[in-house]
Amino acid sequence: MTEIRYRRLLALYPRDFRQEYGEEMLGVLMADPRPGLTQVADVARGAVAAHFRGLWAGESRAARVVQIFGAILLFAVALRRVTGELFVTVRHFDEVGWQYLEVTSSLRLAAWGVVLVAALLGRRLLGVAGAAAGLAGEILVPARSYVDTPATVLYAYWLIVSAALVLIAGLIADRGAVRPKGSLWVVAGGVVLVLGTVLAPVSQFGAYDLQWILVLFAAVLAAVAIFRQEPRLRARLLCWAAPVIATVPVVEFGFGELIVYNMGHPESTRMISPLQWAVLVLVPAMAFVGASVLDRRGRVTAAATR
Amino acid sequence: MNEPTFLILTALAGESQHGYAVIEDVERITGGRVRLRAGTLYAALDRLRGEGLIEVDREEVVQSRLRRYYRLTAAGEQSLATETDRLREQATIAERRLRARRADFGGATA
Repeated sequence: MTEIRYRRLLALYPRDFRQEYGEEMLGVLMADPRPGLTQVADVARGAVAAHFRGLWAGESRAARVVQIFGAILLFAVALRRVTGELFVTVRHFDEVGWQYLEVTSSLRLAAWGVVLVAALLGRRLLGVAGAAAGLAGEILVPARSYVDTPATVLYAYWLIVSAALVLIAGLIADRGAVRPKGSLWVVAGGVVLVLGTVLAPVSQFGAYDLQWILVLFAAVLAAVAIFRQEPRLRARLLCWAAPVIATVPVVEFGFGELIVYNMGHPESTRMISPLQWAVLVLVPAMAFVGASVLDRRGRVTAAATR
Repeated sequence: MNEPTFLILTALAGESQHGYAVIEDVERITGGRVRLRAGTLYAALDRLRGEGLIEVDREEVVQSRLRRYYRLTAAGEQSLATETDRLREQATIAERRLRARRADFGGATA
């Protein structure tokens, strides 16, 4: 069979698969001493399978890493919350008593702990149940004070999106025990987050700035974990991270005025409008879709320039 | 794990190899019984890469055509070891039962 015929046959494959493996496959097909109908059928079968696989390629593996990394970070955030409450209670017990210790904080810590263990062991049902409980906690706690301070929902927005992503990731993640590459970087990021409450307690002067620096440092450590993955997985992880990253400009630029107004007018009943709620729901979804489209185009472009 | 996957991982357990070398190695491993075809091979390689069991070791251009070498990852090594243990256990059971069967027949005919 001639090279032109083989190229026509390879055109049956999805474009990104063809651009990734086309030249290699062509070399193998040309070298194969058994051309004929069986070879054509084998390539055609492979092309059909590649089209089906392309729809779901690598997502379950990426979802598994998202579930584990996300659970580590959400567990660290929950632990940071509990540690902070304990720190204040121990240091100022005479003044505040037990009032700073929130049962909901401990429950969220337990929920994300369950998700983390389930993710590491590859227990899908347990992971999904834990994430559902964790997500419910992340939504319900700020929702309690929504009427008095609508901005609390906005402060917790990135956490709610992260929790939702971990829940979705748990639903489609690979099964079986695994420890992804770079996990220790995420754990280090989590430790930095937790230490923030001890190193920079809210009562200390300049604590707010130091806490932000530590949060940024933790984010950098988590980013290192993502960039240590192989390119394909890294690209998918960035797509999964996009909805969380998108929450920062949404809250900062889309709701900054509402937050400032809320702070200046504690008696106000100005709430988040239905349109703003729609934006809050749609932006993370659009960020994921947009990042995935860019990823797909990027993969195609990168393969084409090889 | 299906047989082509097991054989591809076995081929790459030795050293990193390009696509056609994997086909030849699999044929050698199986004594000529299995000769993979391009469609089957690249479907498996793509899937194994997606699952993190293999990765690209290096690339080179031979006669103006890309040649990519694949190697086993740590996860691939673990997966192959697990499958090998499973097959060994099954083979041991089969062997034991065959031996017992032969002994039974031997007893009956004696």
